[in-house]
Parts: sequence; C-alpha cells; structure tokens
Amino acid sequence: MKTTKVSSIAFAAAIFVVAVALSPPARCQAVAVESPGRGVSSGQWSVQVDQVDSRNVDLAYSFQIAIYENLVDELNKTKRFEHIFREGDRSAGEAANLLVLKTTVEKYTRGSETQRAVTSVSGATKLTVRTQLVTRDGKVAFERTVDGNVRFFGSNLRATHNLAHNMAKAIMRSESEPPTAIVAGQL
Amino acid sequence: MGLVVSRNRKNTYSGRHPIWRVLALLICCTLTALAQSPTDREHASAPFSVRATHLLGFENAKSNCNGTLSIENGALHFQQNGKTGTQIKVDSVRDVFLGGESKQVGGLPMTMGKAAAPFGGGRVVSLFAHKKYDILSLEYLDTDGGIHGAIFQLGKGQGEVVKNELSNRGVPVTSHQDQTAKQNSAEVSHENN
Repeated sequence: MKTTKVSSIAFAAAIFVVAVALSPPARCQAVAVESPGRGVSSGQWSVQVDQVDSRNVDLAYSFQIAIYENLVDELNKTKRFEHIFREGDRSAGEAANLLVLKTTVEKYTRGSETQRAVTSVSGATKLTVRTQLVTRDGKVAFERTVDGNVRFFGSNLRATHNLAHNMAKAIMRSESEPPTAIVAGQL
Repeated sequence: MGLVVSRNRKNTYSGRHPIWRVLALLICCTLTALAQSPTDREHASAPFSVRATHLLGFENAKSNCNGTLSIENGALHFQQNGKTGTQIKVDSVRDVFLGGESKQVGGLPMTMGKAAAPFGGGRVVSLFAHKKYDILSLEYLDTDGGIHGAIFQLGKGQGEVVKNELSNRGVPVTSHQDQTAKQNSAEVSHENN
C-alpha cells in the first residue's frame, strides 16, 4: 500500500517537473503568436530588400550578392512579411505598406579558411553592417548594427549567411518595439 | 634637266603612294572584317559548357551543388548532376564579376578527419589541403525587374573563360579584374602569415 502511494507521488512529481520544464517554450510560443496581433503586424507589411551598400569598405562583389540573397532567404523564412520584394521589382510600387530594408557595410575583416583550419584562433571573417527599415517617406522605423562572423569552420562566404540570419532575427525581435509602433502611427 | 625630271617623278610617286596605301589598307581591313565576323558570330552562338558549383542565388537551383554551367540558345543554363536544369536568359544578365577564393578541400568528412587526427596532425594537413577557385558572380533581372544575384565556384582560370563567353554574347562585363588581384594578394598574404 505504502509502495503504491510512494510511486503515485513520484509519478505526480515527475509530471509536475515535466510540465514545469516544458512551460517556458509554451510561453514563448504564446508571445510569438501574440506579437503579430499587436499594433503593427508585420504580416500586413511588405519589405523591399535593397542591394548592399559597401562604398566605404573594400568588399568583394560576391559578398555583396551573398548578403543580399541570404537576406531575402532569411526574411522569407520568418514568414512575418506579406511580401518580400527585391530591389527594382515593379510590383513593389503597388504594395500598400512597404518598408525598404537598407544595408550598409561598416566594417569588413577578410579572413582565410586555411588560416582558421591551421590555427583555430586567427583568420576569422568578420562583417559589421548597419541595417535600416525605412518607410516610403524616408522615415527610419528600425535601425541596428549587426555582426556576422565565421570563426572556426566553413568558407568565408558563410559569414554572409550568419549575418543575414542575425539581421532577420534582429528585425523579428524589434517587431513589438516602439519604433515600429511609431511608424504605424505615422502611416 | 635630268634633275628636274627625276624630281617630278619623285613628286608623282610620292603623290600616288598615299592613295595606293590607303586603298590597300581599306582592302585589307575589309577582307579581315569579312573573314572574322562570321567566325565571331559562330563563336558567339556555339554552345559552351563548364563544370561548376552553384553556391547560391541561381533561379530554382539548390545551393552548394555541383553541376554543369552552359550557355546555349541565348540562355545560361545550370544543370545539377542527374537532375533537370534551370536557366535564365543571357539578355537578363546585367553584370558579371570575377573574384578568387582559396578553400579547404574534402568538405565535412575531411574536416572531421582532421579534427580527429592526434597531435595536431589535422592542422598540418589543412596547411596543404587547400585549392584556389574562381568565384563568378552574376547580377540578373527577373521578369518583374527585381535584381537577383548568383554565385558560382569554378576551377582556377575557368571563370575568365565563362566571363569572356558571356561578354561575346553581349553581356556587359564590368572590369573588376582588380578585385581578383586584390583578393588573391590578400589570400597570399594571409597564407604567408
């Protein structure tokens, strides 16, 4: 009898522990679901990705293209925008709520894959960009400085993938922050 | 008198020579142009293909996959090994850029092997297990006018061939030779360090 009681208490405790362990992600999910419903749901917004501006930095053209393409991919993955337009797309003009994503390369450290593989501590490829979401009338709705690096494994171009991923993450995080809400008020 | 005659002759010859020279030059130029232009046209329309690795961006092609990059019937075509290809019109290509990159060979299995090697043996292998590639970047427009970029990795020296082929077919090629030179020198300096 005693053994049954102990085992049932242990079972209940185990269920409680599992429930507690699982609860934080569930909360996060709830927040994630809620956020599109607030002030500005990015689901109603479209974004036009402009080409990367690297006039201040000596950046290889393949890197500029890679950042641009990876950014379009990563923003598509977020599924938070109604449309992701590319620069020059004529249909972007018809979009009701359009934000333009501008990317300016601020710093670039050219690394070497061989150096990384040999030393493990040097040869990192580092990219720092300033990213801005601008409204049609030129008002800045969002601005961040984002990094993208390759420190150990992978080719130099992988830095662009990491950078685009971080940029998309930063945009996602800022969704419920005041700047976007201000934009909503202005529009 | 004799002197006068010889002078006159000289004058007449010197007067005729430039005309003949110009005429001969014109004939030569015309013949050369006639001989060259069909060859160029044939060359421009001749199919061309090269082995390449698609890194990213090409219409509907999987990233980091090997295949054949070809130019045929006014289209730039990329066919993955054993799969159906994708293509864009050569006319839609807005610019071509050529760069260089030194990469480690062997991919993930080699990386794992190097990491598992005892006494830092993997690092020594890494020192020699790298190869230089040409990186060909294309900028092209879709039907709506949106800008796309595609990056291909080709064997050393083949990027220049593809660039020339595209140039022969009327693609505007921006001179970015300095970029290749800069990158290669940077890579060499890194490797020397």
